[in-house]
Amino acid sequence: MKELQDLKEISHNIYKAVYNNKEILLTKSSYPPYYGERKFDNLREWIPSRSKLSAVLLKGYNLKFRGDEKLLYLGAASGTTVSHISDILDKGIIYAVEYSAKPFSKFLELSKMRKNIIPIFADASKPENYSGIVEKVDFIYQDIAQKNQIDIFIKNSNFFLKENGEGIIMVKARSIDSTEDPEVVFNEVLKELRKRFKVLAFNTLEPFHSDHIFVHVKVLK
Amino acid sequence: MKYRLWLGDYDNDLHLSKDFFKSFLSCKNDNPVPSEAFEVAKKKISNYYEELRKVAIEVAEKEVEKELKREDRYVVMLLKALDELIESINILEEKYRDLVEIKNSGVVESLNRSINDLKKLRKEIEKEIEDIMLKIAPNLSEVAGVKLGARLIEKAGSLEKLATLPASTIQVIGAEKSLFKAISRMKKGKKARVPKHGIIFQHPFIRTLPKRKRGKMARFLASKIAIAARVDYFSGELKEDMIEEVRHRYERIARS
Ligand SMILES: C[S@@+](CC[C@H](N)C(=O)[O-])C[C@H]1O[C@@H](n2cnc3c(N)ncnc32)[C@H](O)[C@@H]1O
Repeated sequence: MKELQDLKEISHNIYKAVYNNKEILLTKSSYPPYYGERKFDNLREWIPSRSKLSAVLLKGYNLKFRGDEKLLYLGAASGTTVSHISDILDKGIIYAVEYSAKPFSKFLELSKMRKNIIPIFADASKPENYSGIVEKVDFIYQDIAQKNQIDIFIKNSNFFLKENGEGIIMVKARSIDSTEDPEVVFNEVLKELRKRFKVLAFNTLEPFHSDHIFVHVKVLK
Repeated sequence: MKYRLWLGDYDNDLHLSKDFFKSFLSCKNDNPVPSEAFEVAKKKISNYYEELRKVAIEVAEKEVEKELKREDRYVVMLLKALDELIESINILEEKYRDLVEIKNSGVVESLNRSINDLKKLRKEIEKEIEDIMLKIAPNLSEVAGVKLGARLIEKAGSLEKLATLPASTIQVIGAEKSLFKAISRMKKGKKARVPKHGIIFQHPFIRTLPKRKRGKMARFLASKIAIAARVDYFSGELKEDMIEEVRHRYERIARS
């Protein structure tokens, strides 16, 4: 078997390495593979075409985690990305919301294995319904392809985001407006977000995901 | 102010509920819950997160099972109700037009108001169908569109049935009427053409092509719809590249 080269930790439990002359991302994990990714000793490969957050990090944008954060995850699907965040926040808690039954039932299997995941079967556009479950969090991660995805993010941050909290939104242009030029949609989204947040960074997810940008925001003081 | 938490009610003090499963399912608050409430809760029970996880997982398992059983039946029945509604609206509008010609009485005005209410209901049902489709069949909704996707599920009977149909059958779903007509003509020794136009021909990527190119696109689309239905039935996860592939093929066929 080939070896990982140039292994370095870029953030708590997140590693970059070179494998087969290609840069790859990994998280430190004592758990077995979850979605067909490779495992190298105690490191789990984090595949960028499967997880938008991996794409963000592989593109060179770094997020600093301490490992004990509380995080609210909207749009968990079957938990591909959550599984890695669960590795990263080994001393934290992840509240993960998903409203579609089929992917959620697979996600439940992951939740049962991982002690830091609280699965919530609910509609993210109605945060009031899980307001008695989720405490104030340091971070909101949102990846839901919905027309009103920005409203949903703002609503949830009103309910749950701490005063110095941050968030990442994966914005999909076509689900907001399928007829408008994506560039126009993205600008509109940034304008909307800037009313409420400081935009720390944004970028496309090319070449891993088309028609998406990520936006990293922080609550305005 | 009183707040409802998953483990009980909070009003400066926490009153633990007798049944966490029950309180978990009804801990709705119109306003954000202050963080003190959760801090108090964490002190009140020793293994807070462990207990929360246990309740969350158990509740979710029950809810998911309920949802899986009913979700596509719900769309199918909504669609049937919508069909009836549209037909009723059309009939009533016709009668209304006849009536106002004769006499615009109070009753006739009420009829008009009721028709408008029915039209509002129609929009509501359409919106609900769209919401549910995006949730239970995200790939089918992308590839076929929400309306056509829902119609295919309804014609097939369920998402499960649609997921087992071969592409060649999907291509002619909805053409049954003309198919039967063709067969009965043939039985009588008359000439008839076997229809190849199922409801997927309503898809914009087929409709907007010149006639001679439609068959080709329909075959491709039917094969993608078959895959989309299977992915939706088995995993329910959105595959983002599927619609791109369909769009590319459409553009290529349109240009060819
Ligand atoms: C693109 S997928 C997320 C993939 C996941 N974040 C990952 O990387 O592993 C989007 C998910 O959001 C879910 N979703 C969309 N709208 C939602 C809502 N209003 N509430 C909860 N989940 C929603 C969909 O069911 C779908 O599973």
